[in-house]
Amino acid sequence: LRLANRRIRLLLAVFVFAFAALFLRAAWLQGVRAQDLGRLAQSQHRATVVDPGGRGTIYDRAGVQLAIGRQATTIYANPRQIHDPRAVALAAGKTLRLDPADLYPLLADRSRGFVYLARKADPKRAKLLERQQILGLGFVPEEQRVYPQGRVAAHVLGYAGTDNRGLAGLELAIDETLRGRPGRQTIVRDPSGRAIEVISSTAAEEGHDVYLTIDHTLQANAETVLRATVKRWQAKGASAVVLDPRTGGILAMAVERGYDANRYPEASRDLQRNRAVTDTYEPGSTFKVVTVSAVLSERLVSPNTAFTLPYEINVADRVIHDAHPRGTERMTVDEIISRSSNVGTITLAQLLGTHRLADWVERFGFGQKSGIDFPGETRGIVPPLERWSGSTIGTLPIGHGIAVTPVQMAAAYAAVANEGVWLRPHLVERIGAEDRPSVAARRVLSRPVARQVMSMMRDVVVEGTGQEAALPGYQVAGKTGTAAKPDPDGGYSTSRYVASFVGVVPATAPRLVVLVTVDEPQGAIWGGVIAAPAFQDIARFGLQYLEIPPDAPHTLTDRD
Amino acid sequence: VAVLLAGVVALNVAVLRLNVRFEELGKERAKLRAENAELASQIATRAASARIHTLARGRGLVPAGPDQWTYLDLRRESR
Repeated sequence: LRLANRRIRLLLAVFVFAFAALFLRAAWLQGVRAQDLGRLAQSQHRATVVDPGGRGTIYDRAGVQLAIGRQATTIYANPRQIHDPRAVALAAGKTLRLDPADLYPLLADRSRGFVYLARKADPKRAKLLERQQILGLGFVPEEQRVYPQGRVAAHVLGYAGTDNRGLAGLELAIDETLRGRPGRQTIVRDPSGRAIEVISSTAAEEGHDVYLTIDHTLQANAETVLRATVKRWQAKGASAVVLDPRTGGILAMAVERGYDANRYPEASRDLQRNRAVTDTYEPGSTFKVVTVSAVLSERLVSPNTAFTLPYEINVADRVIHDAHPRGTERMTVDEIISRSSNVGTITLAQLLGTHRLADWVERFGFGQKSGIDFPGETRGIVPPLERWSGSTIGTLPIGHGIAVTPVQMAAAYAAVANEGVWLRPHLVERIGAEDRPSVAARRVLSRPVARQVMSMMRDVVVEGTGQEAALPGYQVAGKTGTAAKPDPDGGYSTSRYVASFVGVVPATAPRLVVLVTVDEPQGAIWGGVIAAPAFQDIARFGLQYLEIPPDAPHTLTDRD
Repeated sequence: VAVLLAGVVALNVAVLRLNVRFEELGKERAKLRAENAELASQIATRAASARIHTLARGRGLVPAGPDQWTYLDLRRESR
């Protein structure tokens, strides 16, 4: 019995010791290690799933997608889990059509626990690789920005980068609007990876869709015409702006040479610039419309006021002459514009005087940003009045010694076409289902003066320097421009020119303002020869496409 | 007590099932969104005017000239 009691006591002691050990262990785990172990358990069971809010789609005015998000798969690797980097590099390279030699160093680098193998790869190829169940590879769905129209409007749209953030163009300008807000979901998974509990959930917000004033068909046509013009004249580049003068909305904004926004890394920064907004040029004779509008508005002359004009004129230390040799002639203001007389325009500017001329240049919006909703707009170069030299009154009225952007010039002509009211040029029509925002407007010219200027510009096309811009069935108003480019070492080049044409159709009820500039054409230099036919092609297509009835049907050729 | 315990278990099982279904639906939603985006992208690419112009030219079609269009003034016609 004593022996049995001793055994019981021993057993009791063992139990007490065992329970004490268990109690201490439990106290250790529950009390001291609780936080660490809790965190460890959470990291094993809990997962935070991020749902990146999709980036909004960019549509043209007809509702055609210009920039959309497409599902892609990003493939990453943990090199520490990869036993045979060479085999994995070969398998991944073959499936993803990547060079295994590029993948191998990434996979063999065991100092890193995370490397990207391919960002935003083709989801079908990624799926094939995923099926191979290679340990150490991971797959994450990501949205990829694509531009279904390819080269069309690439300069306007810009592009979004790998992280789906706008890096250039409208993608950058309206990035906040387009960008969605990511959603998060914290879930608890079972050992097989299925979600068994949702701890917290924040819904993702999709980015807003944006509708542009651009029409992809007009845009594509303008780009085709510019491409042909650049090729025909072996020019350095060209740009075109098509604007609705009634709204200030830009229907097309083309820059040649272009690039494919889907392959933006291959295009140089220079090629990516939207030169219609970011670059300036000396406008030459297209600027004469500003000078003539000013003298008419100041009631210094009427369209029929005549002047006796020699071939050349002295202005301070300069002698400025007309483009083509001629004797002394008598010209009306109307003829000064239609024949693009430099001497006549300078004579008018001298009537106006420097102060009033400077005021009118400012009034038309030159030397200041137009406010277009596109990043990187330049204000152009207008010399401040206090820095005008004696010859500025001779150069500036004919568009020299001043630099403007194509958009500024198109907006100025649109103001004349819109019965004297300047409207802020814009590219964004509306955001999502919101109403179209109001457009900044200001009156630049009185209605009668705007009509007089339009009438003069019609004569430019009927009997002046812009006859190549004429369109059967329509009355066209416009102005040619030919400007020598400034040389880097001072003075003007005798071989490098910018040829331009700005036109308005139909002149009796304007619907389109089309500006074309051609940079450094070869073989000819004149705006009426190089840019006016390009205007004609763009305007003809636009009128037909928009179904704008002719305002001069009698000029159409007879039909059967 | 047993019924109460059984009820609690049944409730937990139901919640688990709902969570699993919730995740499945989330995955299906993401898949459908991806497919939708892919289809939208294909439509936009195929409807691109530059592509249609090229195809049309390849088949010998040319844009109608200005003299091949007629505008009818219905107001004048009805007078």
